[in-house]
This record gives sequence, C-alpha cells and structure tokens, in this order.
Amino acid sequence: MAAATSSMSNAREDSIMKRVFLGPAVILLLALSIFPLLWSLGISFTDMQRGGSTIARQAAAEGITGGVGFLGLGFELTGRNYERLLGDGRLHSTVRNTVFYVFFGVMIQYVIGLGLATVLNQPFRGRNIVRVIFLMPMMMTPVAAAYTGRMFFDSNPLRSPLAHFFRQFSKAIGLEQAISIPWFTDTGWAPVAILIIDAWQWIPFMTLILLAGMQAIPDDIYEAARVDGANVIQIFMRITLPILLPISMTVILIRGLEIFKIIDVVVVTTGGGPGSATESLTLYIFEQALSNGNYGYASAIAYVLLILVIIFSTLFLMAGRRLARGHVS
Amino acid sequence: MTQARNERPILRRNSRRPLWQSALLYGIVIFWCFIVLFPFYWLATTSLKRPIDVSRGPKYIPFQDFQPIPDHWQEMFGTQRESTERHFRNSLISAAGSTLLSVVIGAMAGYGLSRFRYYWGRLGWDNDNIAFWIISQRFLPPAIFIVPFVLLYNAFHLIDTYGGLIIAYTMFNVPFAVWIMRDFFNGLPIDLEESARVDGANRWGAFLRIVLPLSAPGLVAVAIFSFIFAWNEYLFALMLTNFNAITMPVLIAGQNNTRGIEWWFISALTLMAVVPVIIIGLLLERFITRGLTAGAVKG
Repeated sequence: MAAATSSMSNAREDSIMKRVFLGPAVILLLALSIFPLLWSLGISFTDMQRGGSTIARQAAAEGITGGVGFLGLGFELTGRNYERLLGDGRLHSTVRNTVFYVFFGVMIQYVIGLGLATVLNQPFRGRNIVRVIFLMPMMMTPVAAAYTGRMFFDSNPLRSPLAHFFRQFSKAIGLEQAISIPWFTDTGWAPVAILIIDAWQWIPFMTLILLAGMQAIPDDIYEAARVDGANVIQIFMRITLPILLPISMTVILIRGLEIFKIIDVVVVTTGGGPGSATESLTLYIFEQALSNGNYGYASAIAYVLLILVIIFSTLFLMAGRRLARGHVS
Repeated sequence: MTQARNERPILRRNSRRPLWQSALLYGIVIFWCFIVLFPFYWLATTSLKRPIDVSRGPKYIPFQDFQPIPDHWQEMFGTQRESTERHFRNSLISAAGSTLLSVVIGAMAGYGLSRFRYYWGRLGWDNDNIAFWIISQRFLPPAIFIVPFVLLYNAFHLIDTYGGLIIAYTMFNVPFAVWIMRDFFNGLPIDLEESARVDGANRWGAFLRIVLPLSAPGLVAVAIFSFIFAWNEYLFALMLTNFNAITMPVLIAGQNNTRGIEWWFISALTLMAVVPVIIIGLLLERFITRGLTAGAVKG
C-alpha cells in the first residue's frame, strides 16, 4: 500500500520534474534563438533602419505625429530587400568568397587532418606529448591566429619569416627573381592566406576526432586483412576510410557550418579587401547592419545565408547517405 | 598510469617497423610540430623585440640576432595596466559567468533528455527530435542574430554589460552542453539513482548528490568548451560592447587602427589572451577529447 502511494507520488513528481529539468534550456532557446529568428524574418520584409525607417523619418520631418506605415508601426512592409539581393554585386562576391572558404577549407582541413590522424595512430615514442602539441592552435582566439598570420604573410622579407624563407630559398636554387607572394594585396592570394590561417587553426579539430575514430577500430580487422595479404594502402582505402565514413561526414559538416560563420580572421587580416575579394557573408551582413544601419536589408541577406547553410547541409547529408549505401553493398 | 602500461607493446611493435617508415613518421611529426609551434615562438620573440628589430629583420634567436627587451610587457602592465586589467577581467567575467550557466542549464536538460520520456504532441517530437533541435541551434549562422540582438539589447539596456555578454554566450553554449551531458548521462548506470530514491531521496536530491558527482568528467568537458568559446568569441563581443565590457579579442582586433600596427605590443597582448586558455586546455586535454568525441563518434 505504502509502495503504491509512493510510486504514484513519484509519477506525479516526475511529471513536474521532467519539465523542471528541460525547461530552462527550452525557454532560453525559444527566447534567444527561435524568437530572434522569426523576428529577423519579419524585419527582412520591412524597410527598418537604425533610428527609424525612411517613412518614419519622413513623417517626423514633416511634423506628422501618430502612426505611419504598416499598421501605424512606423515602417513599411516591402519585398524590396529581396529584390535588391539580386542586383547587389558586392553580395554576390561575398557569397562566392564564403563558398570558396567553406569548400576548399573543409577539403584542406580534412585531407591534412586525416593524414595527421593516421600518423598519430601509429605507436611511437612521445606520442602523447605530440598529440597535445597538435591541439594548441585550436584553443587560440581566431583574432590572435589572424594577427599571427598577418605577420607571416607580410610580403616584406625584412619583417616576415615566411617571405624571408622564400627569398633565401629562391637564392639557394639560383632564381634571378626571388619568389615573392603578394599575400594580402592580391585579389587571388588574399583568400588563400585566409584559408591557410583558418586551416592552421582547425586542422587539430579534424585530427582529434578522426584519431578517436581510428582508435575505435578493433585491431583484429587489420590483422585479418594483413593475413589475407593486403598492403598498407589497400588496408587504408578498403578498411580505414569506409569505417571512418560516418565520422568523416560529421566532422566535415561541423567544420563546413563553422566556416560559413567566418568573420574574425577576415576582419583582422584584410578587412574584406582588396576590393571585396576576401569579404565573407557574415562580415557583409555585419557591415550592412552596424555600419550602414540597414536592418531590413541585413536581415534579408542573413536569411540568404541561412538558406545557403540549409541547402549545403541537406545536399551534403544526401550525398553522404548515398556514399554510405555504396560502401555497404 | 595506463600510459606506462601501454608502453611495452608499443615498443615491440615499433621495432617491427622498417626504418624508412620510422623516418617518415618522425619527419612528419617534427614538421607539423614546427608548423604549430613556430608561430607561438614568433609571437613570444616579437613581444621582446625593439621596433627596429621587427621591421629590420627577421631576427630569429634572442641574444644572438637581437637583444630582447621587456619594455612591451612592462608597458602592458605599467602605463597600459588599467586597460589590460579591465579587458582581461571582462573576458574572465563573461566567460566564467556563461560557463557556469551553461553547465547548470546543460546538465539539467541533458539529464532530463536522458532519464525522462518527452513527447511534444503538437510537433510530434520525442527525446531524439528535441535533442536534435537543441544541437541544431548551435549551427545557425550567428549573422542572423545580429539585427534582432542589437534591437533586443538596446530595448533592455543590455548593451555593454556583463549580463548581456553572459546571456548571449550562454545561448550559444547551451546546445553543445546539452548534447555532451545527455551523451554522458546515457552512459551512466541508473541503478545508483534508483537505490537512492528507494532510500527516500527525491529526483532532485538524487540528481544533485548522486548523479552530478559521478559526472564530473562530463561537466569539466562542458565547462572547458563553454569557457574557451566565450573567451575567444569576437563577433558578439564586438557588436554588444562599446567600452566597459570590451573583451580581449575585441581589444586585440582594435589594435589595428588605434595606434598603427605595433606588432611587438600586439604580440604581448595576444600571448596574454592566449596563454592562459592554452594552459588550461593542455592540462585538461583528455576531457576535451572526450567531450568532442561524445557527440561525434557515435552520432
């Protein structure tokens, strides 16, 4: 009898407690993520600007008091922001740059990360220390990594050790004209420099997770393959890579989504230039919103970014699933 | 301890490896260590150089190529002391505050999703859907929050306050915290809690006294991630602060235009912002690995 009442009171307690446990997280996300998300969708269809919309400012200038605009709220509903997207050349170049960063960034980071994970998966002396050293760039604030990158990609050989190295190297192999790469002043090289800085910082992330994936592969699979006479390359291509496929998909997706957000490295190294050769979408949105105060237009661009991100992830997951099926059959 | 035990079989396998393979292996390892460490070395030496040694270089080895001077560090802790301390404190308070909140909220939600069954009838979502929804918030482009956050923060007078930064960072950290903690609690046997509850503890008591102490490694992992994220974050710190609450990354990025590029001073400042985090991270490295692989390896 006592047991029955206690279990009944337990059930009632649980139905309250489960809300108590999950509640704060859900409320936080609803208030600070879902609400702003919907709100900025709304703003993207208005002419809202910092200090009031055009129509509100006009009304104020003409001395009209009371409600103006849509429902008297002081702004107009409009689709103009989305029309403007189509003709905005600078926006198009930021989209191209961002896709460039994501595509090549993920590729470089994955290939090198996989290589380093393979190395770290071998037994050797000092492996634990090396693994810790490999992690260091990941913990650096991107702003700091970007400044450090700027010191290295300075094309003056009197300042930059990298340019100095190139000069010594060209001298050593007898080139008349020393190799000198105009990293931040050339529209072709500047995005590459940013790509390298981001890669330097985030390859450890790839390495770390791929290494964990490799260490989870049981040894007897390798033993069996070796007994069957497979060589190192065959083992890597036929066993390691397919087993790592799901985890590879995960890290590539995570890194890809993170690179879509890139702003700090760009701000510190080039500020988006030369021209808008390195400007990322996030930087452009930031400038539209905070430097120009075009809240409506900035929100519309942000939604384009969101849609890009969703398309990217969906296509990627679909391709991944197809690839996984191919390996199973 | 476990590492020492592993040492013997490793050495045996080592000796089976052909020499060229060992050479290649160590070659790659040494090369990559150089790639990782040299920039830090360069920051450290640059922070000790006279301006002339920076622009008429490159000088590599202290005492041989150039005479190191402590001036820039003295400047940072002398004439610039007020600024350095304030920005460091701002970073520390906003990172620590959001870490604390993220750990608490994340542990609670993670526990809920691991131990109760939820069903949000209107959406048809069960625990897995809810967990996926929560983690998906982590990957939304932050650009989409710029305008609404500026408007909200202006309305609530949160611009340039610790509270404002803490709230924003908590929002970004909670999804990952929930994800890691849920994974962690799923791996924790339920028997202990149940026996505690038979002994008369309620859910909350069992959570506080039995579950949380057992999940210290997960909590540490969540804390490191939250702290490092908040400490390093740039976009929102730039957007939501203008004087009092400016954090280290914004201060460093701002060195660009206030006094021209003084690489020696920037290097000192950068090390100041980076070294504490790296030390914490390296000391707690195994928790980082564990936390990162919690979601990724399985999911």
